[in-house]
Amino acid sequence: MEFRIDKEVFLKSLQKIQGIVEKRTSMPILSNVMLEATDSALHVTATDLEVGMKSSYPAEVATPGKITVGAKKLYEIVKELPNQVIIFTTKDNDWVEIKCGKVQFNIVGLSPEEFPYFPAVKEENLFEIESSLLKGMIEKTSFAICNDETKYNLNGLFTKVETTEGGDQNLKMVATDGHRLSIAKGTFKGNAGPELSKGVILPKKGIYEMKKITDEESGGTLMFGFMDNSAVIKRGDSYMVMRLVDGEFPDYNRVVPVANNRIITINKEVFTHSVRRMAILSSEKFKGIMLEISNTGIKISSSNPELGDAMEEIDVTYDGEPFAVRFNARYLLDVLAVTDTDCIEMKFKDELSPSIIVPEKSDSFLAVIMPMRL
Amino acid sequence: MGHRTILHIDMNAFFASVEQSTNPDLQGRPIAVTGGGQRTVITTSSYEARAFGVRTGMAVWEAKRCCPELIIVVGDNRKYTHTSGEIMKMMLDYTPEVEVFSIDEAFMDVTHSLSLFNTPENIANLLKARIKHSFGITCSIGIAPNKLLAKLASDMQKPDGLTIIRPEDVSRVMERLPVKELCGIGRKTERQLTLMGIRTCGELGRCPEERLTGKFGIAGKRLKEMGLGRDDSPVIPHGEDDEVKSVGHSMTLDKDIDRREEVLRFLLQLSEMVGRRARRYNVTGRTVTLYVRYADFFTSFGKQQTLANYINLSEEIFKAAVELLDSVELEQPIRLLGVRLSSLRHQSEQLPLFEDERRKAFATQAMDEVNSRYGEFTVTFGSLLPSREKNGSFVISPAWRPSGIRNVDVK
Repeated sequence: MEFRIDKEVFLKSLQKIQGIVEKRTSMPILSNVMLEATDSALHVTATDLEVGMKSSYPAEVATPGKITVGAKKLYEIVKELPNQVIIFTTKDNDWVEIKCGKVQFNIVGLSPEEFPYFPAVKEENLFEIESSLLKGMIEKTSFAICNDETKYNLNGLFTKVETTEGGDQNLKMVATDGHRLSIAKGTFKGNAGPELSKGVILPKKGIYEMKKITDEESGGTLMFGFMDNSAVIKRGDSYMVMRLVDGEFPDYNRVVPVANNRIITINKEVFTHSVRRMAILSSEKFKGIMLEISNTGIKISSSNPELGDAMEEIDVTYDGEPFAVRFNARYLLDVLAVTDTDCIEMKFKDELSPSIIVPEKSDSFLAVIMPMRL
Repeated sequence: MGHRTILHIDMNAFFASVEQSTNPDLQGRPIAVTGGGQRTVITTSSYEARAFGVRTGMAVWEAKRCCPELIIVVGDNRKYTHTSGEIMKMMLDYTPEVEVFSIDEAFMDVTHSLSLFNTPENIANLLKARIKHSFGITCSIGIAPNKLLAKLASDMQKPDGLTIIRPEDVSRVMERLPVKELCGIGRKTERQLTLMGIRTCGELGRCPEERLTGKFGIAGKRLKEMGLGRDDSPVIPHGEDDEVKSVGHSMTLDKDIDRREEVLRFLLQLSEMVGRRARRYNVTGRTVTLYVRYADFFTSFGKQQTLANYINLSEEIFKAAVELLDSVELEQPIRLLGVRLSSLRHQSEQLPLFEDERRKAFATQAMDEVNSRYGEFTVTFGSLLPSREKNGSFVISPAWRPSGIRNVDVK
């Protein structure tokens, strides 16, 4: 195999798959990137068997062929090469030669025969979806994905299309870590298909990679679909395949409280700054900040026996019974960071029940946070 | 580090003295305190009994053979922890730098208190008088420039002693002192040193460091310093600052057991005790250790597993302990069982979002509250019920402290 490629193009192609390749070295081939030169394009593929990505780039191919090379090393090399055309040639015994101007590298790769099978995607199975819709919904939910790997059914985003009585279709994404839950909602057009009608769990790693794809260019659409227990996302000349999490997502509707009738509306900026200030005193040991809500407003405070205490008041309208509730400041800040309205509504029942945060006058997003013990 | 003045206070025959001082019938008579339960091993004996040759660790029948008039008292650990706590509080009147070493021993760094109390002897005499007055028991106090020598000094005169090792006395004292007298040199180290021809601290101090490090590794340097009577370890006052690394309980069983359901019952009880203490101090852990000692007294094993998440509910600890038990083939009946939770971190009292998990948390909390108010095991697992009264014998661990997470509620 021999091809010539522009340095910047090659660098970008390798950068894109750095998040996909396996960091642990249990299977060395998974740390490698597969480079396949066909008539007029270079195909760059990486997979960790859970999430895979394949992209095509223009290249001048002299001899078609394929090889796999350590993805991280190759990226480091290409990054430091001069800004000229790179000539990439395979040699005997899976060695490769990389030439660029007066620089030459010889590095050893692994046989492409060992590289895992990567499914060919049938485009007719995919449907269009707005990139910005996905981006926004992932942002509003992904922070609540559970990182505890034993709770594998929570290690992803539950994604489902629900049809309302009026026949409208809503795309819903839900994440929870057992302490908080986040639901994003958007309008879905097209045919949901069996997978989305039933609901699927997209894996955490795939979600983060998908987020990167939606971050690259704003606007536009991408293609989305399912095949062999995997979700497929295609944008331009790249597509990504992620294996769906095989598990039952908890019934999130039961977690969302319906009788939270102590409601306050508060300016998002003001509240964010206040929580951030109060959180300065929190630590691994003392995470909570206290909200005391009464007719005179809301008093936010935190105290840490090792450091001291802090308090601040914000005026809000509230005419119910006074009460106090304590939260992990991080959970509040995560929700506040992704809310895009000026004000939020907080709905409480009591200090030991889940509380709701929603953007004011919008049903695109709903967060449920479980308080801490007082 | 400048010149320091350290006191080591050692309560004489502590458990026996407490018993004698609270019961006039026992005063001046040979008594021995045993752990609870049916197993009868002497934990402490009074000086009157020691005169007959009664020693800690003897079986009751053995002790009775030495001293037929011996009075056996079943220990009341609660009384001892209370008395110990009160005595430790007295020490704080002289310096904040008090390190509780075990239930009957403590170090005090009085270097900076001498301007208030003149001499260390004065502090020692005041303390001895107050302890005697309040509890009717005696202690031996050692005064020296460091902890190693202070402990040595307190051992020199028992009971009711006061021994001072001044800086200028150190080399004379160490010269002929057998190495085994030093705190930290056990039988094994002593044997190895003897093989090297080292019997006294003087010889140990003169031994080239390379020879010692060649044999003992990094501990060699420390051994040489010990031989020279040097020790710059500070007196560490105990508060919660002292990072607790594990929460554990063990019990010697009343009789050796080998039936699985019996073992499980004790494991559940231990798990509840461990879980209860972890919850009281708001810690969770993810390493669970099972410790088993067999009936022959000599063979034992400890096995641990690290879980993916942090736990402190009794049933989760129990589950992990049972998994460990099932991963080994028991060779003999079991004499002692222990469960420990480690790799601790502070939990944030965050309540779970899902209702079934929340119910479990609330139920546990309710159970803990009842047990805090009406006594441990008032509300407990059904399978623990047939043996409510008292299971096993509870020995106060050397890690016991008068306050904080190490303060075990003893039975």
